[in-house]
Amino acid sequence: MTESTISYETACGRIEEIIRRLDSGDAGLRETLELCQEGRRLVEFCAGELEAVGRGLEELKLDELVARLEEGRAAA
Amino acid sequence: MSDHHEPSLSPTPTPATSGRPDGIPGSDLTGPWPVGQYAARLRGRLRGFSHVQVFGEVFNLRSGRARVWFELRDERGALPCSMWRGDFDALAAPLSDGQRVVTAGGCDFYPGSRTASPAFSFAVTEVRVAGEGDLLAQLDRLRRTLHAEGLFTPQKQLALPALPRCIGVVTAEGSKARDDVLAGLRRRGWAGRLVWAFVPVQDRHAAPAVTGALQDLAALEEVDVVIVARGGGSLADLFAFCEETLCRTVALLRVPVIASVGHHTDRTLIDDVAALSCSTPTHAAEAAVPVDCGVARQRLHSLASRLERQGRRAILERARALARLARAPADHVDRHRAHLHQQSRELRASVRRTMAGEERRAVAAAGVLARRGSAATVAARRSRELDRLRLALGAHDPQRMLERGYALVEDDSGEPVSNVADARGRERLMLRMSDGALPVRPES
Repeated sequence: MTESTISYETACGRIEEIIRRLDSGDAGLRETLELCQEGRRLVEFCAGELEAVGRGLEELKLDELVARLEEGRAAA
Repeated sequence: MSDHHEPSLSPTPTPATSGRPDGIPGSDLTGPWPVGQYAARLRGRLRGFSHVQVFGEVFNLRSGRARVWFELRDERGALPCSMWRGDFDALAAPLSDGQRVVTAGGCDFYPGSRTASPAFSFAVTEVRVAGEGDLLAQLDRLRRTLHAEGLFTPQKQLALPALPRCIGVVTAEGSKARDDVLAGLRRRGWAGRLVWAFVPVQDRHAAPAVTGALQDLAALEEVDVVIVARGGGSLADLFAFCEETLCRTVALLRVPVIASVGHHTDRTLIDDVAALSCSTPTHAAEAAVPVDCGVARQRLHSLASRLERQGRRAILERARALARLARAPADHVDRHRAHLHQQSRELRASVRRTMAGEERRAVAAAGVLARRGSAATVAARRSRELDRLRLALGAHDPQRMLERGYALVEDDSGEPVSNVADARGRERLMLRMSDGALPVRPES
């Protein structure tokens, strides 16, 4: 699964799962390193998602947005 | 109604009132009249209309302390109605929304005041319940049809994102629902992209406008979820959200739709086909963003810390284990050396203990031997005596005599024959020599 296809909730769930596995102490060194690496990537992904909805409310009107998209399509 | 020709509403001229403004220059109309005076006149006129019977369906029934209000509706129009509470309570059967009724009464008008709004109503004095409302029955039939076609399901199978980046909202511009949606999103700490689709939400233009807005929002790839929001109202006002095309469109949209167009007592069809139905626009906004962004940030920070801590701990633990393993052979030798040392000490102690024991046992044995030495001397002496006796005895052994050339004369039975007379009397004698016996016959 890549970050482009997963959702925020899936990523959060996977991080929890990774931490449970690490907490259990059953993971070997190689697995631990791989889990940590995967976990870091997912944390960055989630942080990015939270960042995207924390920059400030951006309000658009549908009519204006559709018009803008149609202009862009016509220009292309 | 027969009273189409209304008498003039111009109030009877009254003495000039202080503060009356001048009229509109050039206007042929009478006045200006004080509005209260005009309103009172209007009430009089309306009350003068003929009393009649009107039938339709009851909607938006609500009670006050002194009066009960409702609307009578059919497909062509509606009439606000009111009843005195006493008349209402005296009805044989209680009224409820959706009932088809025949009412009797006449027009009335409350002229209002500086602090109260005016209101027109059809003052009902009698009611007869005529049956279940057609509109509600139609609605129920459509609900069953959509359900039978499985259109209540598709939206509910769409996954509602926990953290949408872009939310579409269909509502009326400047409505309270709009403010409530914003309040709900603020409560979640959400500040992403919001696309407003402002549409009429309660007249006959509402359903096509809402349908079009939903289709446009769903066509925008970035829109993750759509909220359809409208404040509460009577079921009649909410009929736009029961329109068949609108409901079929919602059911088949690719994005989840959260409906909040009434409240729990007024369930519309869009509530049934949508992914989720909420009682208020605020709740709809909160449902669109299930995650509290502030809490989620703290949680993520905590998860990241735990992850780093676990990673470091795993490395450190293994480094320590490795160091332990590296020291293990030397430790092993040391342990064995100590063990050997201990065993040597124990061995020496054991040898000392054994030697002491052996010494004690040797001393004891020496004593025993010493005692046994005197006994041996006696035995030797006895042995020598025995040898002497044996020799003496041997000297008397007849065998020795035979070996020296003597012979022993025996009869047949082996008895010795020691004189000649005895020998002559025998037929046969045996001469026993050293190496055997020889039979002989004596001569007479």
